[in-house]
Amino acid sequence: MSGHRIRLLMWKEFLQLRRDPLLLRLLFLMPILQLLLFGYVVAADVKNLSTAVVDLDRTSTSRALEASFGASDYFVITQHPGETDLKHLMDTGAISIAIVIPEGTQAALDQGQTAPIGVVVDGSDSQVASVGSGYASQIIARFNADRMASQGISVQAPGVDARVRVMFNPTLASVNTMIPGLVAAIVMISIMAVMGQAVVKERERGTLEQMFVTPIKPVEYLIGKVTPYAIAATVQLLVVALVGIYWFGVPFAGQLSVVAAGLGLFMLTSIGMGLLISLVSHTRQQAQQLMMLLLLPSFVLSGFIFPIDSMPAAIQPLSWFIPLTWAIQILRGAFIKGSGFEALSTQFWVLGLFAVVIFGAAIAATRRRLTE
Amino acid sequence: MRSLSRIGAVTAKEFIHLLRDRRTLAVVLALPVLQMLLFAYAISFDVKNVATVVIDLDKTPASQAYVSSYESSDFFTVVGTGDDLAAVDGVFDHNQALIAVVVPSGFGRSLAAGEKGSVAVYLDGSEPTAARVGQAFSTALNQVYSQQVTIRWADAQGLDVTAAGQLEPRVRTWYNPEKRSSDYLIPGLMVVIIMVVAVQQTAVSLVREREQGTDEQLAISPMRRWEMMLGKVAPWTLLAFLELAVVTAVGMWFFDLPLRGSIGVLALGAALFVFCSLGLGLVISAVAPSLETANMLGLLLSILPAFILSGFAFPLSSIPGWLQVVSCLFPARFMVTITRGVFLKGAGLAELWPEIAALGAYAVVVIAVAIVLTRRRR
Amino acid sequence: MSGVDPVRPGPLLGTAPNPDAALSVRGLTKRFGSFTAVDGIDFDVPRGQIFGFLGPNGSGKTTTIRMLTGTSGANAGAALVLGEDVLSHPERVKKRFGYMSQKFALFEDLTVEENLRFYAGVYDLSAEEFAKQRAYVLAMADLRGRENELTANLSVGWRQRLALGTATIHQPELLFLDEPTGGVDPVARRHFWDLLYDLASRGVTLFVTTHYMDEASHCNQLAFIYRGGLIAEGRRTTFAAT
Repeated sequence: MSGHRIRLLMWKEFLQLRRDPLLLRLLFLMPILQLLLFGYVVAADVKNLSTAVVDLDRTSTSRALEASFGASDYFVITQHPGETDLKHLMDTGAISIAIVIPEGTQAALDQGQTAPIGVVVDGSDSQVASVGSGYASQIIARFNADRMASQGISVQAPGVDARVRVMFNPTLASVNTMIPGLVAAIVMISIMAVMGQAVVKERERGTLEQMFVTPIKPVEYLIGKVTPYAIAATVQLLVVALVGIYWFGVPFAGQLSVVAAGLGLFMLTSIGMGLLISLVSHTRQQAQQLMMLLLLPSFVLSGFIFPIDSMPAAIQPLSWFIPLTWAIQILRGAFIKGSGFEALSTQFWVLGLFAVVIFGAAIAATRRRLTE
Repeated sequence: MRSLSRIGAVTAKEFIHLLRDRRTLAVVLALPVLQMLLFAYAISFDVKNVATVVIDLDKTPASQAYVSSYESSDFFTVVGTGDDLAAVDGVFDHNQALIAVVVPSGFGRSLAAGEKGSVAVYLDGSEPTAARVGQAFSTALNQVYSQQVTIRWADAQGLDVTAAGQLEPRVRTWYNPEKRSSDYLIPGLMVVIIMVVAVQQTAVSLVREREQGTDEQLAISPMRRWEMMLGKVAPWTLLAFLELAVVTAVGMWFFDLPLRGSIGVLALGAALFVFCSLGLGLVISAVAPSLETANMLGLLLSILPAFILSGFAFPLSSIPGWLQVVSCLFPARFMVTITRGVFLKGAGLAELWPEIAALGAYAVVVIAVAIVLTRRRR
Repeated sequence: MSGVDPVRPGPLLGTAPNPDAALSVRGLTKRFGSFTAVDGIDFDVPRGQIFGFLGPNGSGKTTTIRMLTGTSGANAGAALVLGEDVLSHPERVKKRFGYMSQKFALFEDLTVEENLRFYAGVYDLSAEEFAKQRAYVLAMADLRGRENELTANLSVGWRQRLALGTATIHQPELLFLDEPTGGVDPVARRHFWDLLYDLASRGVTLFVTTHYMDEASHCNQLAFIYRGGLIAEGRRTTFAAT
């Protein structure tokens, strides 16, 4: 191996990168822009649901109940329709939840009876539906408790005093888990998009053939090719990670070294995957198609958006073959739980194995091109 | 009339290209179906069988009865037991469980003495979806258990605890009574899959044509710019439309997706949406100086926005207002509303006309922008 | 085929490869699956010759070149390039030959100067050698004053000459040219052959593949390959007269 030739290849690669200003700008600005845009979406918790209240009781109790819904962060009362208008409002998506207080509610309560309160949720958005109905039930339960307390009834009964405590992310804010995952996903896409074209472009133009006639060795070529992109990717990763942490105020509980090692390893696997795609493709279009083939499952199956635990048991093993799965576990563990290398050792070993296998395959693919 | 025949010529040529390029054809036709089959099984927000660790330090019949209420629940799956409070940290650190239930010693004694027996439930908040649902389920489970204890106690004391009167929520979930998240996700997934393929393929195939120089040849012919655009887009529109039909069929047959609304509105929306996606592809191909950049732009402007800004997986109701505006720059957002409306809500033109109109306007604007940009390139 | 003494390839069959020749090939064979691309060819190219390797498209010319330049392995046979066994130790001889393909494999997004500098670096040229060769190539390719232009902006004729310049920047003893005149107009082609004669006159052995029969007249030794096998090989006897 000759350091001189590797430096030369890197010099050439940097020059070429510099000649495509749009690509460079995309490489550095797009990820940040995307992080800022998408960060708000993935970080948004279900709140401020448009709510309609159908008050058929019109008593102090029904008004008090409506007020306790209005006081909550989760509901914004936007409509007071009649019962028959509910369907249309729900169909057009103007409201996603409706509270129906039937006539005679207060009368029933005064007689010590149980009075039903209708909670209608829009099931076409399952998250809104489950979260909305859950919070509505909680508000009604608190309303009951307050009413009993105000009437001086307190039951001195035995029971279970459960202290439910959320560890690591006590406010259950999505931002804390989603931003680290989003950082990894954005960096993966932009690295693979560039890397996937890197070698196949030279093959199409014939410069690859030319270079292998010279004394340049396959390993030198790969190192010279990968290093400039790795440097660019590292800068990109740092910027995106810092913007993510500071802009969105993601609390950082863990060790910097764990995050750095995890992101670094993941970056290597992304570069390696892009490189491999580029090596096995004959045209840039093929490379791009292969990339799509790999990227979509990465998003869907990695647990980034959809929890792996919610997938059917038969599909769960597929997620093991996706580097993003392991990177997200490392990042979430390190960011939120402050987990160290010991706790995340499986994830690190697997990612390391991915890197070794992928780069091994890349070297083999280059060699095979030479001897085929 | 003459322009019609010219458009026809370009369309025919594009079709020949497409049919020759077997690999692209396979990607465009088979991939969406495969993805639909695989992903529709995988995507779900339904949390069930959450790994739970139980640490019973009391070991009395009362504590065992309490613990067994977790074992019999569908939501919790007890994956381990421990004898030591310190085990909780290790369990969470190694992702072995999301929930830990600790019953301290003295639990049974307190209950027997007519006092409240305290327990602790720890949730791993690094998975907010599961944690949120876990919180609700364990609270409910404790209430039910408490109530049983209370009623038994009240019976023994001769008291009627229900005398005060209570409000009781009766939750009804419209459109999707079982709250299956797959019913909610699959209509969105269709849109995402089509969008990704359509935007990418047009952008890349057009830039490739430019790089190969066949484009120049056409530019000196009497062909007008818009005729060429239309001719190029036509076969892809047809293909994408076909794709959408196949994907819809897969959704209905394999995943029992109900089609409640007007199929005409769905088709109209789909045609407009496909046109918008292709228009976006045309804009990318006009802006991108090289195939690399086209690729990069295609990836950035299709995959991520389709997943994140379309409302497919993340509800858009809670995002800031300025971002709402940004999300309208991508046609997927409107189409997801249309597919959900038609499939789940049985909506028709009366409910969905704003989205249809938005897609129509989008299509006109995006094609116009594409034409202007391509003209400026020359 | 007037002017060529057709010789059946028999005489070399089974003889040992000749280490003094620029190229010496015995029984060289390449198979892709069940398809035999190159079928046991034998030939010698003495030093200083212009060797024309003729054949229609797909006859095995490029595959042969790829084996001789060490970028592709062989299934059987032996090949000595400048006396070295190129099939087992291509790295020993790579610095001593050059290669130019029909694609003019220059980096289009680099300038003329940067392309030269890159290939000079690849072949370990010293600063003085590079200065000398750079001046020579720029003069030869008529690119003086255009050093900082992007290669993509050059027209085909210039690009072809620049490609020749980068392929010979390390002053190789042997130069492989794979269809070097494809897509170039007749005037530029003649000009290009003048440059090749100039190289040959300085003792460089040239191995040229082409499917233009008229270019055969530029060579002083010819071989014809058809469907992977040599069908004729020999010296152009009338070469001295032209």
